[in-house]
Amino acid sequence: MNEQIVIVGFGPVAARLVDELLPAVRAGHARLTVVGEEAEAAYNRVLVADLGVGRTTADALALSDADALAADGVDVRLGVRVRRVDRARQQVLLSDGSTAHYDRLVFATGSRPVIPNLTGINPDPSSPVLPAGVTALRDLRDADVLRQAVDGGKRVVVLGGGVLGLETALAAAEEGATVTVVHNGPHPLGRNIDRGGGAVLAAGLRRCGVRMAGNARSTGVEHNAPDGGFSALLLDDGSAIDGDLLVISCGVRPRTELAEGCGLSTSAGILVDHRLRAHHEPHIFAIGDCAEVLCPDPECAACRNAKGPSGLVGPGWRQAEWLGEYLGLLAAGAVEDADLLPELPAEQPGVIVLKARGMNMAVAGDNSAEPWDEEVLTAGAVNGRPRLQIAQWADPEHGRYVKMTTRGGVLEGLVSVGMPRTAAELVGLFERSAELPADRSLLLRLDGPDGLPGAGAADPQSTVCRCAGVSGAAIQGAVEDGCSTVSEVSKATRAGTGCGGCHEDIKGLIEKHFRAVSTA
Amino acid sequence: MTKSADTHCPYCALQCAMTLTSPAELAPATQPGPVPVTALPAPASPAAAPAAPAALLEVQGRDFPTNRGGLCRKGWTSATLLNHPGRITEPLLKGPDGVHRPISWEHALDLAVSAVKDARARYGADAVGVFGGGGLTNEKAYMLGKFARLALGTSRIDYNGRFCMSSAAAAGMRAFGVDRGLPFPLEALDTASTIMMLGSNVAETMPPFVQHLKGTRDAGGLIVVDPRRSATAAFTSDGGGLHLQPLPGTDLTLLLGISHVVIHENLVDTAFIEERTSGYSAVVRSVNSFWPERVQSLTGVPAELIRETARRLAAGARQGGSYILTGRGVEQHIDGTDTATAAINLSLLLGLPGSARSGYGTLTGQGNGQGGREHGQKADQLPGYRKITDPAARAHVAGVWGVPEELIPGPGLPAVQLLKSLGKPDGVRCLFVHASNIAVASPDANAVIDGLRSLDFLMVCDFFMSETAAEADLILPVLQWAEEEGTLTNLEGRVLRRRRALTPPAGARSELWIMARLAEALDAPSSYSEDPETVFEELRLASAGGLADYSGIDYAMLDRGEAAYWPYPAGSTGTPRLFQDRFAHPDGKAVMTPVTPRRRRTPAANPDPAAKTMTLITGRLLEHYQSGAQTRRVTELLASQPEAQMQIHPAAAEAMGITAGSLVSLANERGEVVCRAELSTAIRPETVFLPFHFPELESANRLTEAATDPVSGMPEFKFNKVWVRPVAVPLSSNVLQTTEAS
Ligand SMILES: Cc1cc2nc3c(=O)[nH]c(=O)nc-3n(C[C@H](O)[C@H](O)[C@H](O)COP(=O)(O)OP(=O)(O)OC[C@H]3O[C@@H](n4cnc5c(N)ncnc54)[C@H](O)[C@@H]3O)c2cc1C
Ligand code: SF4
Repeated sequence: MNEQIVIVGFGPVAARLVDELLPAVRAGHARLTVVGEEAEAAYNRVLVADLGVGRTTADALALSDADALAADGVDVRLGVRVRRVDRARQQVLLSDGSTAHYDRLVFATGSRPVIPNLTGINPDPSSPVLPAGVTALRDLRDADVLRQAVDGGKRVVVLGGGVLGLETALAAAEEGATVTVVHNGPHPLGRNIDRGGGAVLAAGLRRCGVRMAGNARSTGVEHNAPDGGFSALLLDDGSAIDGDLLVISCGVRPRTELAEGCGLSTSAGILVDHRLRAHHEPHIFAIGDCAEVLCPDPECAACRNAKGPSGLVGPGWRQAEWLGEYLGLLAAGAVEDADLLPELPAEQPGVIVLKARGMNMAVAGDNSAEPWDEEVLTAGAVNGRPRLQIAQWADPEHGRYVKMTTRGGVLEGLVSVGMPRTAAELVGLFERSAELPADRSLLLRLDGPDGLPGAGAADPQSTVCRCAGVSGAAIQGAVEDGCSTVSEVSKATRAGTGCGGCHEDIKGLIEKHFRAVSTA
Repeated sequence: MTKSADTHCPYCALQCAMTLTSPAELAPATQPGPVPVTALPAPASPAAAPAAPAALLEVQGRDFPTNRGGLCRKGWTSATLLNHPGRITEPLLKGPDGVHRPISWEHALDLAVSAVKDARARYGADAVGVFGGGGLTNEKAYMLGKFARLALGTSRIDYNGRFCMSSAAAAGMRAFGVDRGLPFPLEALDTASTIMMLGSNVAETMPPFVQHLKGTRDAGGLIVVDPRRSATAAFTSDGGGLHLQPLPGTDLTLLLGISHVVIHENLVDTAFIEERTSGYSAVVRSVNSFWPERVQSLTGVPAELIRETARRLAAGARQGGSYILTGRGVEQHIDGTDTATAAINLSLLLGLPGSARSGYGTLTGQGNGQGGREHGQKADQLPGYRKITDPAARAHVAGVWGVPEELIPGPGLPAVQLLKSLGKPDGVRCLFVHASNIAVASPDANAVIDGLRSLDFLMVCDFFMSETAAEADLILPVLQWAEEEGTLTNLEGRVLRRRRALTPPAGARSELWIMARLAEALDAPSSYSEDPETVFEELRLASAGGLADYSGIDYAMLDRGEAAYWPYPAGSTGTPRLFQDRFAHPDGKAVMTPVTPRRRRTPAANPDPAAKTMTLITGRLLEHYQSGAQTRRVTELLASQPEAQMQIHPAAAEAMGITAGSLVSLANERGEVVCRAELSTAIRPETVFLPFHFPELESANRLTEAATDPVSGMPEFKFNKVWVRPVAVPLSSNVLQTTEAS
């Protein structure tokens, strides 16, 4: 077998697929072509905000090395776009005029930023050109634009209160920029977080030096800068938020136009089944941000609750790993083994963890119900299905807030602000669908001072010297028999002869004895 | 008879220095007779312990740089085994009724020789196998390798060190070109600013070690990575440092996350990377996708702690020094070599190895775990840490042995595969076991016991009726540590002298003597001395020019108390600290290898609706050593830890109706363990812990899987799924009395 595999797009998800397919390429089972529109081989897009505030370098973001791949026999084409897919001939047409044949074609075209309709910005949805001083934050060039503003100590306006906007704002503020976040609704992360969590989060952002402009509806941008660039974001109440750079962070949309152009089914993303195959097209697959797992079977239970592409890279990487194994088997001619490969399990709902140095926040699932909403809490509790339960902890003074929404002890939603260990634990429990301890306060105490309860040598039978296994009573006995120094006690009982960690405790017992003797 | 001898503890790799003194006229071991007065204080444990004969020797801690006079409970009580009533002092042959009865040495050796000849004639030389141990002296380990290859003519030799050190060893080899557990003296830790310990619970396994952590704890720089709040992890409280509690099996991911922060926060020692390493950019790419928040989701360790760890390690390297130390907890996994590699990569990013006051090391576990892996009892090695596939190495060793090179067989099978082959067609049919209790200590122990039972002939050299000896056709009684001379190499790579303090029981023999007799009867080429010093002199020659070069070391200098760290070529002064100028690869550079976590196989589904699937981690207790064959026979230790207990978090226990001390069953597709529960908040709620020192129904290794690391052959001991349930019906009271109390 010598299958020709073509991957369209060279983002982080394509990079993982390439890595997974390398063994098949090296073994001569497959020939691999990767076509990437950007000039660089895949890099870690998740960290472009860090790059944009000068915290890391473009070198450190690299996920693939084009030269190394070429040396392994991979055909890497950078700075070239796939313009059209000819399914009848099984070939792709590239922007440089060349063509490439495929036996298997994988879409990994990712997504692009949503550009809102604002006067002063006239986006062409398929290739937006933004005016000076306005940028999205998706690729290395966007990062460069932000970098210049941050380095220059400029005023940055972030439009959008989603997690990416908040991360960008926090990082830029920490690195010295003056930052305002403009969002609609009373608090940021409106779609994911509840009111309490949102309020504590907003307060935390303000503490970190980010200005928050909530309940704002933006209508347009003003270009009055000396170079004709961005100068202010206009709101519908007639006010304006001045700045030098507008960062648009209003979500992303899967890039499906190429797939649509060749007649594949799409919804929010390119529709694929549980084997990541495009509907009714065994030669074409899609993974990553551009893919939407929703199989053609209307009865499929897994697809009933499907929520569309997550826009997160974790699911994409899992898809790439799975598809790498699947295509590897096909290329090696092991068609039966490929068919036997268990389908990719459905993804858990995404977890949002704020990437920031000064703040900690995690949210997941549905957090809309409040503890006293009897109606909401009991709504789904039919046929023995338990009702929702809510446990909540709010300490706005110290920037801490936790909410756990559970059904049958298993999390359906979580919010944690300002409690890092609790957040880490809750996220783990959520992802494993594991049952919470009945005493939920255990989870809150993880962030308390870390002394273990119940320690201490108060109980005379308890062990003072673990190394030699000597109890407080035995040491007391030795002291009563006349030992008055640690080394005498050690000689008589072996206590303190291992790690030496109990010397202070032994000293304490000796002193206690002699105090008692002298007062007697 | 010696009145007093300076020697080292028989157990772990810290090899604490001790002095053994005979208080009075000594009685032969087999007849405890008039009990000598002992200066040992009575056991401090409140539990009523059965009376045992008093010890023949008094144990005193001796001042030495590693233990500074300290000993743990195991060391203090070690002498009580010398005249233990259960000691085997005559060769024993199993009768058709399954009962072992004494026979003469002459008869025993005849039987062993004919078993070897028979297996060889019927199935070929590789039907005879040898299983060694990390507790053997350098002399015995060396001789065992030579004996197997020349006298038995077999390639099938490996040892229990495969279960403990092989992953770190393979990672060290790959990165540095050499594997010495700690490439620096232990005392170097005293002045460090930051020490990160992964998967190592020294407070329990080698308490005197903890003295070397004091300075760092006082400075708040101790970082412990352990899913349990182990005794060592508890040292980080009250300002001692940080405890990172990752989910079991996610250590590799955590290390990649810490490396990510080092790279992205510009904490890399770029000059060091440039001059002294290769492979940097591939590692940068490989850790790129492990940013702290993602790692938090995968490991359960808060992103902020991941960042903090990276910063402290980097800051420490610029102050008093930073050390990264790994132990079995992170190495005993199917990706153990990669995990150790990730720890090494992190240390290289920070420029720790090769600097004068920082470093990376792995904590060897078994007494001679270091020396035992250098001198040829590993399937792929010849003395001096030479590769058995390297023609130059073969020629050198053949020259020392005075045999043609073709006579040395090629590489054999690593331990787990060797054990899997027992009794199989083309497998081993006749097995010699030395200093290893494989029936308890091997993964998937039930399958190993089946394998032992399917052998044509099993010979075990031991001084107690271990669970493996109990399976043997022939048991040969050998010497205990206080009865022999020799050398061991401790966890620092320092060669130490073991000295004789006591005349052995009349019927016991040294393994060197046994091998010499068998070799003679088998008409083996080359020579097999029974004198340890003569064997050491030969080992010096054989190791000369190898990675672990001992050629400049001799008994006289060790007896003068000189500190001999290998490599110690003749004419040099040894190497207390490695890598100061170069690493051991031909270009002198350290090699960075990118590693990423592998997907794990899906475990079998839980068939028992009453049971809950949990993660099992196995490990050691302070009171016991390895399979417990020795320490379970020490009255004081057994009284303190008489049986296996499953540690479980109270919250998890409550949900399952498990209470402190109640019986629980842990099962999976490989076997079942029944024991009592111990409730502890030190463990994560989805995890249970079981010590592996106990046999039969309490044997943790009945549950562990014989899946192995593809690079090192190390089995997965620390991450297995088990189905846990309370045992409702109280079992008859003697079910748990499987440990032999006397
Ligand atoms: C600032 C920021 C922060 C983020 N933070 C997180 C986070 O914390 N956690 C998380 O899970 N996710 C995060 N994400 C999302 C994550 O980056 C995406 O999920 C991920 O990049 C998706 O990878 P992909 O390979 O599917 O698509 P993309 O990364 O979008 O890559 C697709 C590539 O294909 C190219 N391409 C498209 N069409 C063509 C064509 N016709 N021909 C040739 N090439 C083409 C594109 O130019 C692009 O290079 C973040 C994203 C951003 C921008
Ligand atoms: S720490 Fe190890 S060497 Fe030291 S006394 Fe204990 S078992 Fe023996």
